[in-house]
Amino acid sequence: MADIELRNVRKAFINFVALEDLNLRIEDGEFVALLGPSGCGKSTTLRMLAGLEFPTDGEIRIGGKVVNDVAPGKRDIAMVFQSYALYPHMTVAQNIAYPLKKRGVDKAERDRKVERAAALLHLEPLLSRKPKQLSGGQQQRVALGRALVREPEVFLLDEPLSNLDAKLRSYMRIELIELHRQLGKTMVYVTHDQLEAMTMAHRIAVMNGGKLQQFDTPDAIYNRPANLFVADFIGTPSMNLMEGSLSGSNFTVGGQSVTIDRSRLKPETTDGAAVLGVRPEDIMLGDGTIDAVVELVENTGHEKIVALAVKGCDRILARAPSGSAITVGEAVKIGFDQTKTHLFEKDGEGRRLNLDQDHNSLP
Amino acid sequence: MPLLRKAALSLFVWIVVLLVSFPLIWMVITSVKPQTELFRIPPTWLPETVTFEHYWTLLSETPFLLYFRNSVILSTATTIFVVALATLGAYSLVRFRYRGRETLAMLVLFTYLLPSVVLIIPLYLMMVSLGLSNTLISLVLAYTTFALPYALWLMRSFMEGVPPDLEAAAMVDGASRMGAFRDIIFPQLLPGIISTALFTFILAWNEYLYALVLVNSDSSRPLTTGVMSMLISAFNIEWSLLMAASVMMSVPLIIIFAFLQSYLTSGFGGGAVKG
Amino acid sequence: MPNRPNQTTLERQYARLGILLIAPTVVVFSAVIVYPLLAAIYLSLFSIYTPTLQGEFVGIDNYVKLLSGKLFWQSLGVTLTWTVGTLTLQVIFGVAMALLLNRSFWFRSLARSLVLFPYFLSTVVAVLVWRWLFNDLYGALNHILMRVGVIDMPLDWLGSMPNAMIGIILVGAWKYFPFVVIAVLARLQTIPEHLYEAAKIDGAGPIARFFDVTLPQLRSVLTVIILLRAIWDFKEFDLIYLLTGGGPVTSTQTLALLVYKEAFSLNQMGQAAAYAVAMMLVMLVFMVVYIRRTGTKET
Repeated sequence: MADIELRNVRKAFINFVALEDLNLRIEDGEFVALLGPSGCGKSTTLRMLAGLEFPTDGEIRIGGKVVNDVAPGKRDIAMVFQSYALYPHMTVAQNIAYPLKKRGVDKAERDRKVERAAALLHLEPLLSRKPKQLSGGQQQRVALGRALVREPEVFLLDEPLSNLDAKLRSYMRIELIELHRQLGKTMVYVTHDQLEAMTMAHRIAVMNGGKLQQFDTPDAIYNRPANLFVADFIGTPSMNLMEGSLSGSNFTVGGQSVTIDRSRLKPETTDGAAVLGVRPEDIMLGDGTIDAVVELVENTGHEKIVALAVKGCDRILARAPSGSAITVGEAVKIGFDQTKTHLFEKDGEGRRLNLDQDHNSLP
Repeated sequence: MPLLRKAALSLFVWIVVLLVSFPLIWMVITSVKPQTELFRIPPTWLPETVTFEHYWTLLSETPFLLYFRNSVILSTATTIFVVALATLGAYSLVRFRYRGRETLAMLVLFTYLLPSVVLIIPLYLMMVSLGLSNTLISLVLAYTTFALPYALWLMRSFMEGVPPDLEAAAMVDGASRMGAFRDIIFPQLLPGIISTALFTFILAWNEYLYALVLVNSDSSRPLTTGVMSMLISAFNIEWSLLMAASVMMSVPLIIIFAFLQSYLTSGFGGGAVKG
Repeated sequence: MPNRPNQTTLERQYARLGILLIAPTVVVFSAVIVYPLLAAIYLSLFSIYTPTLQGEFVGIDNYVKLLSGKLFWQSLGVTLTWTVGTLTLQVIFGVAMALLLNRSFWFRSLARSLVLFPYFLSTVVAVLVWRWLFNDLYGALNHILMRVGVIDMPLDWLGSMPNAMIGIILVGAWKYFPFVVIAVLARLQTIPEHLYEAAKIDGAGPIARFFDVTLPQLRSVLTVIILLRAIWDFKEFDLIYLLTGGGPVTSTQTLALLVYKEAFSLNQMGQAAAYAVAMMLVMLVFMVVYIRRTGTKET
């Protein structure tokens, strides 16, 4: 059993606060991604789980046990570093065997386990090489092997794929999902790449500025972003955000109004300044009431990304099928899929104002 | 580059290089000239007869070997003492967090630039009162004053070159802090340690001022002051003997240059010049 | 919930280990550097006769004497002349040599080794060799200069002025210019080739390329080199002491030599300590500049 719990964890360095009052509970066997821009505190969180950094305040539990005072080597965790951190003076076999050696596993047993890990990761022909003689992908697999070999309860992965090229990265994503399925161990995966988080994780913890923004399934994060930061951060191209004002069932942007389903908003929502969010795929071209001018069309092959100028707000991006006939400079009417608009507070934390129970993602 | 241009450039550079090295070449030439040829006017640019008699005289009739032995002991002891302290110290300064760490690092840099003459008077008094004057130990301690800041500064930048992730990985893999140091950091640091050791050794081998002030007896005089005192005490300055002594004094250096030069250059990249 | 201590035991354990590792260094540092440094300042307030080590408290008398007397100011002047002279030659010759050695030519690494060698050579050896070269009767230098026709009479190199000053400056430049060579050479090798290609495309000749590409790239390393070498040249003792002993009379007596002489020839330890402290204060200007430069880089 290795669930992970962070309770009121705070981390302050001399001149800045890396984490503010973080509460997070990761279930046994779960694959959780910590996602956020650089400096958001995700790596610090992971390093605290590993015992490489110490919380200024709060409690960290692994498998129900408080581990604040437990040395990294005694936490029953393994970690894969962004830089792989392979020991340069040791061969691949020695690298993989090192954690076993440190745990007093005897030589014969060590060899057997190294062999098994090597087989799993297709590393057999490389066992006697030094890390310097390996390609990036091979080094990555050695780092994984070193983590696997001692069969820990928790795997901590710190941007393990960020140094690989795009093709290898998508291959390794699948490998990692497969690996997690086979082992069934808890995995915490730090990344700044939303695609990795969305495709691999059961749940994603989105972080920013040392604060947890939202902790939920990829689906919920995408469809029901908890605040403006999450709305803006998740999705490429990202959600269109329009500042305007809410009055009854009308939302006005730059003099033009759209109708909002007031019943989908939290009852305490008051009229006034707010931000309307619409994903590019939820914009209906040529079907609506808002005047827009086509500024730019990007054809990606399977679709077109259309940039639209709308009075009173930033450039709006919409998705259109690749076959659609749209020309630059053309004036179009656009509308928003009413069931899929998002409304956020303009001030404060930019919290989501929609009621979410009636907003289910499509099956 | 066309061959001719390269040849012309090579010729030019080599003339300059040989001009720069001329004093050293002249030293070697002088050391193998017989006494009679030495005081010829004009001097013979190449020796007419080559002799090694001066080397033999030096070894058999002067305390040169004693000085040499003292220098070896002194430089080796200083190097081991200083490098051991500096390796652990640099590890602590770079990888640990405690109060006063930054101040200490600044102090190290400050003392790295401190003139020896400021410390020499109190050090002299200290050695006298400890009864250590005229001993090799007093020199080891005195050499520490410049060698330790230097070695610490150098080791510090080598230490900074070892990725912190390696140590973190070792600790996650089950090593204690010192275990990670022994298994992982030390092997990575080894080239830096060798480089620092070579620099320290050369510094100690070449030191003059402390040896001049703190040691006044042949039994513990190192080569630098020993050879100079032979010059002063002689009626006639024995130039050929001195040149032979100079060549032999430089033997450890020549060995280091021939086999370990890359460590010296990496030391320069590492810490001697930062900017 | 009980009050949690701010640090975990593990964190405290690490901090303790860190202190334990630095402790021997701190002890040795305090004993052989910090204590003597403070003692030097303390001693400078006494009048002490070296052979007996007896003395009495004289307050700031030594400093009054230092400021009102001629010796300190003269030595300061000599030190500055030597430092500026030798440093200038070191930098000019060092940069030129580095540029040469950075070109591709035959037996380059051997040439590099030969050029670097004087820097690592013992000052004693360097001085002996040069004193033999400078020898007025049999020295090679006078003969070469006479043969070339620069002089018609053998020069007294170390026994008269300004020859003695020129002599030490020359030997200093010869011994220490390799430091500049190594540092500049290392930097030269990191200048990206495309900068030169771009300059060539823009029509810059070799001289323009040096001033517009090379020199700006070398600026930061040159600043550090000049600061470091200025500090080291300023405190140089061995080379000057062994070449001229400060002579003729006191014409090449730098501050370091003044301190040594006052303490161990004139046997006035207190006064010598005052000279040393004053010398350090002068150097402090350069040291602070260097430390601030390096210190800010670290963080």
